[in-house]
Amino acid sequence: MVENSPSPLPERAIYGFVLFLSSQFGFILYIVWAFIPESWLNSLGLTYWPQKYWAVALPVYLLIAIVIGYVLLFGINMMSTSPLDSIHTITDNYAKNQQWKNYQEDAIPALRDVPISEVNKMFFLGAQDLNTQ
Amino acid sequence: MEDEKSYSDICGGRLALRRRYYSPYCREFGLSSARLSLRSLTAVTCAVWLAAYGLFTLCENSMILSAAIFITIIGLLGYLHFVKIDQETLLIIDSLGIQMTSSYASGKESTTFIEMDKVKDIIINEAIYMQKVIYYLCILLKDPAKPQEISQVVPVFQSAKPRLDCLIEVYRSCQEILAHQKATSTSP
Repeated sequence: MVENSPSPLPERAIYGFVLFLSSQFGFILYIVWAFIPESWLNSLGLTYWPQKYWAVALPVYLLIAIVIGYVLLFGINMMSTSPLDSIHTITDNYAKNQQWKNYQEDAIPALRDVPISEVNKMFFLGAQDLNTQ
Repeated sequence: MEDEKSYSDICGGRLALRRRYYSPYCREFGLSSARLSLRSLTAVTCAVWLAAYGLFTLCENSMILSAAIFITIIGLLGYLHFVKIDQETLLIIDSLGIQMTSSYASGKESTTFIEMDKVKDIIINEAIYMQKVIYYLCILLKDPAKPQEISQVVPVFQSAKPRLDCLIEVYRSCQEILAHQKATSTSP
C-alpha cells in the first residue's frame, strides 16, 4: 500500500503542469473576450458569446461577496456563541457520560472533566487559606 | 450587620455592593449601579434633535420635529421603565430559598424566587460575552428527581455585571450558607 506523503511525484508534476496550462488558457480567453470588439469576433465566425457586461460584472460580484463574507463570518460567530444562561457553558454530553476510574495510590490520576463546583472551591475558597498564611 | 463597599463593573463604571446579614444564615446582597446621568441624557437628546432638524431641512415637513420630540419623551420613559436597572438584590435564606429582585429606574420591581430544593450550587462561571470573556455568578438548578444533573443555569446580577473581586465576596458568603444548609439537610 503506497503511503500518503507530500513529496513530489511524476504524476503530481503532470497534474500541476496541466492545471498551469489550462489556467493560462482560461485567462487569455477571458482577456480576448473582454477586449476584442463584437464585430471582429463575429467576422471570425464566433458569434455565441455571453454579453460583455459580464466581463466586468463577475469580478465585481466576486469582490463584494468576499467583503460580505468577512461581515457574515463575524455575525455567524456571534450567533453561535452560547448565551450566558446556557447549560453548554458548564458541561456537555461527553462530560456527563464520562467513565469514572478508581483512584490508585501514587499513580497519576486519570484524565477527566472536573465538575465546576470543585473548580470553584479550589480557586476561590482555597485562596482564603493561602492569603491568611 | 450592614456594610457597603465600592466596586467596578466590567466596563469600568462604579457599583456599590451593600451586604446585610439579617441572621447568621440569612443574607442579602444589593448591587446598585450609577443612575442615569444628565450628561448622557442631554447628549442623546441633542443627537436625536439635531438629526431631526437635519431631516427637516431636507424635507421641509414640520411633522418631523414634533415626531422627534415625541420619540425622545416616549423613548426616555420606555428606557427608564423597561431597560435601566438601578439595583439588583440577592437574598439567601437558609432552608427556604433564594430570591432575586431587580428594581428599575421608574420604580418597577421584578422578583424571582427559587426554592432551596431546586438549588444545586452557586458558582462563578466564565463565558464569552460580546467580544470579552467575563466572570459572572450563577445559580445551578437541579431537578429534585435527578439530584446529580444540572437542569438549568440562572445568571444573577446580569445588568450590573460586577468584576471578579465583588463576585468572590458574594460567592464566599453564599458558599457558607450552602455548606450549612447541606450539613443540616443531610442530618435528619
